[in-house]
Amino acid sequence: MPANTCNRRMTVTIRYRLEHPIAVLLSKSMTAIGGAAILNFCTRRAAHLNFLKLEPPMTLSRMPEPDRTVLDRSEAIIGELVALLGADGIISREEGRRAFEADALTAYRQPPLAVALPRTTEDVSKLLKYCRQAGVKVVPRGAGTSLCGGATPTADSIVIGTSRMNSVLETDFVNRTITVQTGITNLAITDAVSAEGFFYAPDPSSQLACTLGGNLAMNSGGAHCLKYGVTTNNVLGLKMVLMDGEIVEINGPYLDSGGYDFMALVIGSEGQFGIITEATLKIIPRMPFARPVMLGFSSCEAAGQCVAAIIGSGIIPVAIEYMDKPAIAVAEAFAKAGYPLDVEALLIVEVEGFEDEIDRLLRAITDIARNFDPQVVEASTSTEHSDRIWKGRKAAFGAMGRISDYYCMDGTIPLARLPEVLSRIGEICAEKRLKVANVFHAGDGNLHPLILFNANDPDEAIRAEQAGAEILKLCVAVGGCLTGEHGVGIEKRDLMDIQFSPSDLAVQMRIKSIFDPHWLLNPGKVFPLPAQELGEQSAADEAA
Amino acid sequence: MSDLQRPGADWELQFVIAGCAEKRMPVEIVGSGSKRGIGRPVDGAVTITTASLRGISLYEPNELVMSARAGTPLSQVESELATRGQMLPFEPIDLGPATGAAHGSQTIGGVFATNMSGARRIQCGAARDHLIGVKGVNGRAELFQLGGRVMKNVTGYDVTRGLAGSWGTLAVMTEVTFKVIPWPETAATVIYLGLPDDLAIELLSTALTLPVEVSGAIHLQAPVAARLGHPGLRIMGKSVTALRLENFSSAVAGRKQHLKEMLKVYGKALELDHRESLEFWGELRRLSVMPNRPSLLWRISTKPTTAPKLVAAIKRYMPVEVYYDWGGALIWLEVPAADDASTAEIRRVTAIHGGHATLIRAEPAVRAAVEVFQPLDPGLERLTRGLKAAFDPAGILNPGRMYANL
Amino acid sequence: MQTNFSQKQLSNERIAEAEAILRRCVHCGLCTATCPTYVLTGDERDSPRGRIYLIKDMLEDSAPASPEVQHHVDRCLSCLSCMSTCPSGVDYMHLIDFAREYIEQTGTRPWKERAMRRLLSEVVPHPDRFRFALKLAPLGRPWVKLLRRFGFDQAAAMIELAPAVLPPSPKYEGPGVAATEDERRARVIMLAGCAQQVLRPGINDSTIRLLARHGVDVIVSAGAGCCGALTYHLGDEAGAIEFAKRNVDAWWKDIENDGEPVDAIIVNASGCGTTVKDYGHLLRNEPDYADRAARISELARDVSEFIGKYDLGAPRRWSSLRVAYHSACSLQHGQQIKEVPRELLVKAGFSVVNIPEGHICCGSAGTYNIMQPEISSQLRDRKTKNIKRVKPDVVAAGNIGCITQLSTSLDVPIVHTVELLDWAFGGPVPLGLEDLSKFVSDVPEPSKRRVNDFIHA
Repeated sequence: MPANTCNRRMTVTIRYRLEHPIAVLLSKSMTAIGGAAILNFCTRRAAHLNFLKLEPPMTLSRMPEPDRTVLDRSEAIIGELVALLGADGIISREEGRRAFEADALTAYRQPPLAVALPRTTEDVSKLLKYCRQAGVKVVPRGAGTSLCGGATPTADSIVIGTSRMNSVLETDFVNRTITVQTGITNLAITDAVSAEGFFYAPDPSSQLACTLGGNLAMNSGGAHCLKYGVTTNNVLGLKMVLMDGEIVEINGPYLDSGGYDFMALVIGSEGQFGIITEATLKIIPRMPFARPVMLGFSSCEAAGQCVAAIIGSGIIPVAIEYMDKPAIAVAEAFAKAGYPLDVEALLIVEVEGFEDEIDRLLRAITDIARNFDPQVVEASTSTEHSDRIWKGRKAAFGAMGRISDYYCMDGTIPLARLPEVLSRIGEICAEKRLKVANVFHAGDGNLHPLILFNANDPDEAIRAEQAGAEILKLCVAVGGCLTGEHGVGIEKRDLMDIQFSPSDLAVQMRIKSIFDPHWLLNPGKVFPLPAQELGEQSAADEAA
Repeated sequence: MSDLQRPGADWELQFVIAGCAEKRMPVEIVGSGSKRGIGRPVDGAVTITTASLRGISLYEPNELVMSARAGTPLSQVESELATRGQMLPFEPIDLGPATGAAHGSQTIGGVFATNMSGARRIQCGAARDHLIGVKGVNGRAELFQLGGRVMKNVTGYDVTRGLAGSWGTLAVMTEVTFKVIPWPETAATVIYLGLPDDLAIELLSTALTLPVEVSGAIHLQAPVAARLGHPGLRIMGKSVTALRLENFSSAVAGRKQHLKEMLKVYGKALELDHRESLEFWGELRRLSVMPNRPSLLWRISTKPTTAPKLVAAIKRYMPVEVYYDWGGALIWLEVPAADDASTAEIRRVTAIHGGHATLIRAEPAVRAAVEVFQPLDPGLERLTRGLKAAFDPAGILNPGRMYANL
Repeated sequence: MQTNFSQKQLSNERIAEAEAILRRCVHCGLCTATCPTYVLTGDERDSPRGRIYLIKDMLEDSAPASPEVQHHVDRCLSCLSCMSTCPSGVDYMHLIDFAREYIEQTGTRPWKERAMRRLLSEVVPHPDRFRFALKLAPLGRPWVKLLRRFGFDQAAAMIELAPAVLPPSPKYEGPGVAATEDERRARVIMLAGCAQQVLRPGINDSTIRLLARHGVDVIVSAGAGCCGALTYHLGDEAGAIEFAKRNVDAWWKDIENDGEPVDAIIVNASGCGTTVKDYGHLLRNEPDYADRAARISELARDVSEFIGKYDLGAPRRWSSLRVAYHSACSLQHGQQIKEVPRELLVKAGFSVVNIPEGHICCGSAGTYNIMQPEISSQLRDRKTKNIKRVKPDVVAAGNIGCITQLSTSLDVPIVHTVELLDWAFGGPVPLGLEDLSKFVSDVPEPSKRRVNDFIHA
């Protein structure tokens, strides 16, 4: 990309952000002085001085305008797709397309132009090659379990679903790897290796249904990431189809990469760089025993302090999970795990190892917990009990559906700020007259406040979204981030410039342009819409 | 010697780079300069060192996180961590002694820019796995800050990790934020002597499939083992295959028994206690078994099961001395000096068996003449060029450091 | 999930009920993973979440069912695996039942399919007609290939499912009372069923023997017949209600007349059990029946569920047979009875093994194996493969549908759980297990002497 195009874009982006009169003045004088570096530097300073305050939109995020020229050609496009994949692989009738109009974030809905269900990498390559030539946008989709709208279609896009690409290609227990197609579900990977005593570590709560492809796109985490890391830490190689249909292999079953670490860039790119069709993953020998202990506290502060004390003590449990009172009630109703119902906050701390090690670790953890006056200290009694404890925790989001619609947040904060942030979250929701339940991965400060609302009440829906934005701003303000494991998607797209400066965003958007010069992949996600449109524009300029 | 710049602040660095970008002057980026002897040499009109960007800006032991300016010496980072009983999980390897630079002089920025991880990589992950936030300046003189100080963070693309291992060709990092872990209470090492390569790798693979969390799995061929500092091991004249266990004492004791029981077919095991273990693995971390000599040092990544075959294949062309790390997934290969660094043979064998090879030690003229890093497939090469252009359109940052013309 | 119904639409009671069910779904997608059709096709429209969406759109639009919606709703097995998985408790069963009825009333079907549905609902629920039809089936066998060629796949599937040899007539044929010879501990009504007593009369016989042997009076009520499940799942709610009413009337006579309490209504085909347990819901709008139906639903028990509460004592026969317990969907998902049958088999001395992917349906699903032969046979083969992996001597299942379906593809015998239990507790060898009887030996009768004999000896 020529430097001048980018400078132009930068300046425009900055104007869009500078709204305070002093900041505008500053920007003008700086432009007069010249020099991208200084301008940039001052913008960052200005941001620190709070000159820049970009209010998030007060209504649901808008989606990009569909491309009329594509919509007008829709019949021809569908015809081409059917020719490529056969009628069995293409869904084009209205009722069928509507089933794909949303993922697990149902606030945003839009049926796509068509849905394609390829079976092989070559199918995907053919599809992308065609879409690139025809200028048709593409939305990759796994199981559609994204909580941030990562697979929400646009009217002018084709959804490419990987659900039929779900085979295990190779298991190599000696070298401790497994190679799979990315439409396989997360749990199915572990199922494929568990008989030999292995498992695949990242375990998002939706692991029963979510696909590896989605995990890779969002760099998903899960409860046990405290010890084993997130998706990017557990992948060795990828096979990916680029937007022009080219199939590239990134690294392989090796522990490091030859040149630049493209795997790092691709994992977590939210389906905007290409469609990953195969992956080689690390599998880990499972510890002989694992046991959770439930620690119930009378206040969330005590629970928060206990988490910090456990980690500070040098013990790294496999997982430390937190549920508050409303969350405990619904999870118990579903899983009947014997959660204490009268505590304000419940920690589930799991340790693993050999039997005697577990006893020692659990003793050490309960000793620490006693300093914070726990109401309940109860270790799991059997494997079956442990399973139920985890079943309840993992289904806690869905179980919330028993009492209300919910809007699930995913900010991460530094652990020390936990009590303060939790009480602020309560206040924010109270101000918006909404209830909130908290279920989250306490060990790494990854919060999941569930804001409860009535989806059939438009006013409440908007208040819920506003409360969500407030909470995420709070997370950034205390030194955390907008999203810990769900991804940005549509949901947090317009909050990105709270966390990132224009140059931070520009650095990322330029990488997008390398992989997808025409910005056809997963449109409308990750970047604030005005920035995206500028990105697309400059890409188009360059192409022209 | 080119013009040396020592920016002390981010904005100074931006100014320097902006100036160079305008004049299209090539810039060599260094920390302490300890890795100048590795990779392709850079002919820079200007040298920028991050040495003046030093200091630990954030350390939260209870959250297992630290931020440091890029020029902070690794030794300072590690001693600060040690005061709270913590450490860098990936055990960064010190290539100084093997490549003729001073021991222990590298900076934390250099560690992440080269993504050099030591033996604990198999258990805890590489340097890139622990890098969670970065601040830097790219070739456009833009200051950017990505990632953050929290471990779980998927806000935006993972450019942070993408910068690890980019050898200063994309941006100059000014501050890095990384994850740390507590020191294990105790360490123990189980050693088997005299195993040939293939049996040794089989042993390591077996050990790594057991649920005992082996945190170091190496095999030294006999001539390499003869350079060990441990007197007992040095004089044996046999190959050394070692496994490290780290945990609290009673767990290590139990796991050690289990491990030995499962591996008893490989012969009688020797043991190193906590103190000896620290010394033994410290030595490997400094790569002192591969001392600086005129011979070539290659670093090959492959699958553990293919590693002995790959080495045997190379041995048909030239004498080799090998140190296998990461349970066989990493081969440190010493071969006699050659004008072309034996690139053709080594790359061909690696291609057949799968993996990639990097030339670590050779004369500067040799490193300038051959492909030091693994040559790229056409698809990846296109992306590599794109990535370089996105960060550094004028191509001024460490030009040619990884690949010629890049 | 947000819904979009007008006040006028919601004034319709049925729509209001459906809306309440839809509102519970949060579109999380967990159900997709355990849905047999989605596992096979990878198509959202063949998943519970997709079907819920299709149904929602159809109802919101108040439009006649489109062929596409009809196609995908028809492909649902009603195995209710999704209900076991769903964390938010979406009542998928009643939603899909309602959708089926809606489609039946508003949609259009080709004449072949209508004829087949009519044929099934006129024949199968009536034992006499069904027995006669099965006798005719061999005549159709030579024509199966021809039928397929002309697109009569369903007819072909039906003929292939019919057993080649009809089993002998049942030993106990109702109505009547099988009185226990022991001291009476309970008194129950047994649903004699329809197709089952023709296909496997031994199941009812075993149930009666097993219960009577353990102190339970078993009544087979006069006038009771098919539970209505078959017609209900073909979308004919009115027909199902008629069957249900007939059973309620018949059973109520026995419940009220004798003045002696009835402890339970025993169902030994779990598909029927799920429906009888739902009579309260099915007849909720029938003023004369609602209360009685609700009471009957409370009394309904699967035979294993009922026996599970009883101490059967030690088995009379000992065997080393390896039994793979196949959990029928109507039992494990519909009635949430998962472990009891397995435990009963273990207590009876069998070594019980678990079948991998136990939560996935075998493809029988009532008349599904006739109406959707393609998916059904894929599921049957998948299940057969999984069963073979655990190498059992015999397979036990709690539902006649699964037994008929799997017996066509398994190379080991498959019987009803209660037949094995009856055998272990003194009954005759179940039909088909004759070859295995040599691995079974009688437990020696305990000596008649009592403790005191030893003390005074």
